[in-house]
Amino acid sequence: MIEFDNFSFQYREGTEPVLRNISLSIPDGAFVGITGAAGSGKSTLTYAINGIIPHCYPGDFYGAVSVEGYDTVDTSLTDLSRLVGSVCQDIDSQMVSTVVEDEILYGLENFAVPREEIPARVDEALEAMGIADLRERTIDSLSGGQKQKVALASVIALHPRVLVLDEPTAELDPASSVAVFELLARYAREHGTTVIVVEQKIALLSDYADLLVIVDEGQIRFADTPDAVLAHADELLALGVNCPRSTTLMNELAKRGLYAGPTVRNVAQATHALMEVLA
Amino acid sequence: MIEFVNVSASYDGELAVLQDVNFTINDGDFVAFVGTNGAGKSTTMRLMNGLLKPTAGEVLVDGVPTTQLKTSELARKLGFLFQNPDRQICCNTVREELLFGFKAQGAVDDQAQARVDAMIERFGFNPDDEPYLLNRGTRQLLALASIIVMEPPTIILDEPTTGLDFRECEKVMGVVRDLNAHGTTVVMVCHDMEVVGDFAHRVIAMTQGRVVADGNTFDVLRNEAVLKAAHILPPQVTEVSMTLDRDFANVPTSIACANTVEHMVSAVTQVCEGGR
Repeated sequence: MIEFDNFSFQYREGTEPVLRNISLSIPDGAFVGITGAAGSGKSTLTYAINGIIPHCYPGDFYGAVSVEGYDTVDTSLTDLSRLVGSVCQDIDSQMVSTVVEDEILYGLENFAVPREEIPARVDEALEAMGIADLRERTIDSLSGGQKQKVALASVIALHPRVLVLDEPTAELDPASSVAVFELLARYAREHGTTVIVVEQKIALLSDYADLLVIVDEGQIRFADTPDAVLAHADELLALGVNCPRSTTLMNELAKRGLYAGPTVRNVAQATHALMEVLA
Repeated sequence: MIEFVNVSASYDGELAVLQDVNFTINDGDFVAFVGTNGAGKSTTMRLMNGLLKPTAGEVLVDGVPTTQLKTSELARKLGFLFQNPDRQICCNTVREELLFGFKAQGAVDDQAQARVDAMIERFGFNPDDEPYLLNRGTRQLLALASIIVMEPPTIILDEPTTGLDFRECEKVMGVVRDLNAHGTTVVMVCHDMEVVGDFAHRVIAMTQGRVVADGNTFDVLRNEAVLKAAHILPPQVTEVSMTLDRDFANVPTSIACANTVEHMVSAVTQVCEGGR
């Protein structure tokens, strides 16, 4: 369980709080999508989970944040990073090795995982991300999608209880983006891991997230199932969040009195709904 | 005009990342290159701006092979927006950043200052702001502004909307559309098929270093064989209309061919109101 209890934060050099009065409970094993306009506080929200706030970025911290019962202020960054695995927005800034296998070994060795466990952990992580064939490749020879999978593998090798990813598909093509979300969803299901993804691609979030969180000007405006959130399309647009086109299409037909069914969030649902409209 | 004639390219001299690529981009075109990561799109852009030379064939810009043009000469013809604006921004203030191209060409005169002033006003920049303290979308706009202030006849955009939120994306692409409407040739690499469908007039699809389709945007994005070969998904409304056309009998043509929310809503409204 991740718990935000009336949490507010202002960076030391900031002039106003970046996040205000955040209260949110994320159950174990949830797949959470966080989106919102640039500068809304999405990334800061994730920094409060993995402990970068307040341990790396000092500031005024109000309320409380806990991960698996550990208060993030009282728990060291090292201990938090055993619970929470993070993948940065800029993958290249996260890579520390020149070869894929070494990248995965880096975290395991630094966390002092027993030597005899390490080979199995490396194999498991490479298999889980479907990149066993890349084990001996140099990092700089990989495509953006492959690097993303290596970064994920290096984090899941540490068996975190929570995965935090900041725009993991920003540089990926649509097929690779779906593949990364599929991998994340499958891994989370199989291991009971909580997954928290900051992402602009709301169509992807809508299809995979159990809980969709919309952040605006430092506050949570919506935190509900994707269907429930997308039902507020006009309010979302005013917050700078555009719904998937399938949603927009059926919402426009609903405004004209031609569709009265539930909120649609993907192509398959829109196709089915349109057939009913045309029947 | 940019011409690729039987172009092949390699980074290490051995592995061909582009093979026998042929196309012509005419003045005033708005072309999107689509395909998976590693398909050769960014390599194609680097061949256009001369950062990479072909190992076989010729890349011609206004009829002159890029092998005979200095990078600085190509830069006057082709403005290049990198995917990550932080790889492009290098000055301490917005004004200096916008003047950088003129300084590089030794042409900081009154006309240059006037163009920079106009750009500051157009984008609503604060000229004294430090670029690295701006948010990502504004940095992307600044990088774009620092290119178009030089008024190149062609702009090349490598993933111009990556990492931008909806409003920032609309703002950046609105500027690009306006430039194209005034005659600037636009060449864009883009993974966001909604953006491609909304803005590009022509699509070149690539896979494994080869061109697999080149045509009007929706002719390419509605071609199932191309979509499969290039591993791309069409825009959502296009996919809806294609699925309806494929899986259900007697779907009216206006619905089966709709590519935008507006067209689909209009077509469905007509059908429901008895125009079937």
